[in-house]
Amino acid sequence: MNNTKALSNLFFTVILLVLAVLTIMTFSLGEAGMAGKGVMLTLLAITMIKSQLVANYFMGLRRTKFLWRAIMFGYFAIVGGLIAVAYLMGLK
Amino acid sequence: MNEHSNTINQDDLPGDFAIWIFIFAEMLAFGVLFVAYAFTRAQNIELFNASQLTLNRTSGAINTLVLITSSYFAVRGVEAIKRGLNQQCAHWLTGAFLLGGVFVGIKMVEFQSKFAADITMSTNNFYMFYLSLTFFHFMHVLMGMVILAVIIMKARRGGYSAHDYVGVETGASFWHMVDFLWIILFPLVYIIR
Amino acid sequence: MKYTSQAVAKPYFIAAIALFLGQILFGLIMGLQYVVGDFLFPAIPFNVARMVHTNLLIVWLLFGFMGASYYLIPEESETELYSPKLAILTFWIFLVAGAVTVLGYLLVPYASLAKWTGNDLLNTMGREFLEQPLPTKVGIVLVALSWLFNIVMTVLKGRKTAISLVLSLGMLGLAVFFLFSFYNPVNLVKDKFYWWWVVHLWVEGVWELILGAMLAFVLIKVTGVDREVIEKWLYVIITMTLVTGIIGTGHHYYWIGTPAYWQWWGSIFSALEPIPFFMMTVFAFNMVNKRRREHPNKAAVLWALGTSVMAFLGAGLWGFLHTLAPVNYYAHGTQLTAAHGHLAFYGAYALVVLTMISYAMPIMRGRAANSEKAQIMEMWSFWLMTIAMFFIALFLTGAGIVQIWLQRISNAPMSFMAVQDQISIFYWAREGAGLVFLIGLLLYIGSFFVKGESKAFE
Repeated sequence: MNNTKALSNLFFTVILLVLAVLTIMTFSLGEAGMAGKGVMLTLLAITMIKSQLVANYFMGLRRTKFLWRAIMFGYFAIVGGLIAVAYLMGLK
Repeated sequence: MNEHSNTINQDDLPGDFAIWIFIFAEMLAFGVLFVAYAFTRAQNIELFNASQLTLNRTSGAINTLVLITSSYFAVRGVEAIKRGLNQQCAHWLTGAFLLGGVFVGIKMVEFQSKFAADITMSTNNFYMFYLSLTFFHFMHVLMGMVILAVIIMKARRGGYSAHDYVGVETGASFWHMVDFLWIILFPLVYIIR
Repeated sequence: MKYTSQAVAKPYFIAAIALFLGQILFGLIMGLQYVVGDFLFPAIPFNVARMVHTNLLIVWLLFGFMGASYYLIPEESETELYSPKLAILTFWIFLVAGAVTVLGYLLVPYASLAKWTGNDLLNTMGREFLEQPLPTKVGIVLVALSWLFNIVMTVLKGRKTAISLVLSLGMLGLAVFFLFSFYNPVNLVKDKFYWWWVVHLWVEGVWELILGAMLAFVLIKVTGVDREVIEKWLYVIITMTLVTGIIGTGHHYYWIGTPAYWQWWGSIFSALEPIPFFMMTVFAFNMVNKRRREHPNKAAVLWALGTSVMAFLGAGLWGFLHTLAPVNYYAHGTQLTAAHGHLAFYGAYALVVLTMISYAMPIMRGRAANSEKAQIMEMWSFWLMTIAMFFIALFLTGAGIVQIWLQRISNAPMSFMAVQDQISIFYWAREGAGLVFLIGLLLYIGSFFVKGESKAFE
């Protein structure tokens, strides 16, 4: 029992570290002043991973019905997708 | 919707279902703002790119780290109360609360520097969105802190147990939403160009 | 009736229905004036008919709210009303003041009325919906304070429930925001800015708290569903209402000289205003489906469900139709606004007051519910009025769309009055629907006089 608890706490800590690394990646791309379609898509991909990590593990939706995860993923798919579309529209 | 009160159904959303109505509604509101930002940007790329450079990316990034760590503390708080440890839960949530305070402090310095530069919502469309989005989010951080404070006080009194911790999950869920939204807001407004 | 002091609600409800009838009659007069411009001129010019129509609406709804709270607060608080005498005194003051004001509108030229009532002392008159002379405005404040005092004192000495908290909060907001009717800055932008603090923050803010509390009370009574469940929904709904409604005020700030960011804030937040209304519909139907008892008053259940649906359609959907800034740019101040106004006021506020009257009146008359015959008549009146009002809104929407097209979008825009001629067919149709509404209302009033075997308390 205690082992599984320690394991799950360790697991959450790993998620936190992944989130932190992804944040620093986002920040570095910004500091480097990088721009363009590829960078934008990379940033959105990082953001998607981060948001879904929070939804699935921090919010704990991993354990619930598929519907709730689908809503959180669908939300990002729509919002992130539209952000990408708007960005690409602006390029022309 | 009342079946939550004592037992935890694995299929259901963590916490009280009512909070999820809020969470989804708030996500919708922010979603509309995010998309509105993106499409307005498409019309004024140069203005947006130039104004974006005046933002403090470092404080934005630090605030992201602060919020995800705070969210993590909230997770640990929930894990603690699942084992019936009220005091430990209160400690973790107090950590989450204090980090919320750090976020608020950094954000206020950021707002202060913008106001000192005479930047308002009427300066241009970029600042209108930047100030609206971050201020709206800021209010949610404050709201989340109030919720956490209430839960902390109840946990201190031993108000939850390993069988009855819906309240803790409810507050933590709201707090994660605040984090979730900032995770999208930060790259969108501060980084993507 | 559990507490004898609840009976003070009765005169309030009777006055509300009487004034409602007056409102409809003046509505029919001005509806006709849209197409027969000199009808009843110069006795009742259009602007006076309009003023009486809208002012009576506000006053009868206030009578309804007051009656409802005097009825439900003692029951919620499980104690007698703090002062039934004060409630009755307030009733007469409000009724006389209201009647004198309306007579003033009808019998005295508005300018003279302003001069005689001290408008030069504090200039507050001449603004839409806030036309009341200064003494009347002061009277409204006093009446609202007396109402608030009586209710709060009752709540304080008794049981405190979510319903009484939300209701008291709504009343407090109602009283506080009305104070802005005394603020009339010379700057027209500021004038309009704060004018909406009364008008918008009443109907899209604090009144919705009163509405939510009243609906929740009736649903608890007629469905027997746990108070806990209903109260939680009430909290969720009113929080959403307040967040969207308060910032949603921005949808009035698009074109009046206020900063441009209001176009974003107003559009986005007011676009979310239908959500709490939708939740209310889901909530009401859910509660009725989960009911634990069959309340003999079927009519009251119908009114309650009707409120939730029509409020969503009128306030939610018809409001959303023209709330986004780019749409409102064309739709602003057209008959589309009138369509929304009619359906929203009827669906949200008229219906909730009628719900409350339908539930409480039989009990105050010593029975759990009216006879089968009376209830059937009441239900007929519900359907007649509701369908008629829906058609009024449809016809006005049609008129609004044609108006927007001819006057604002077409390549050769026509003048306002020329367009009014073009849409007269819609106005005739609206007048017809208005007559059906009147028949429904008369039927409703008639249902109070139907004899028959009433349902006794269990």
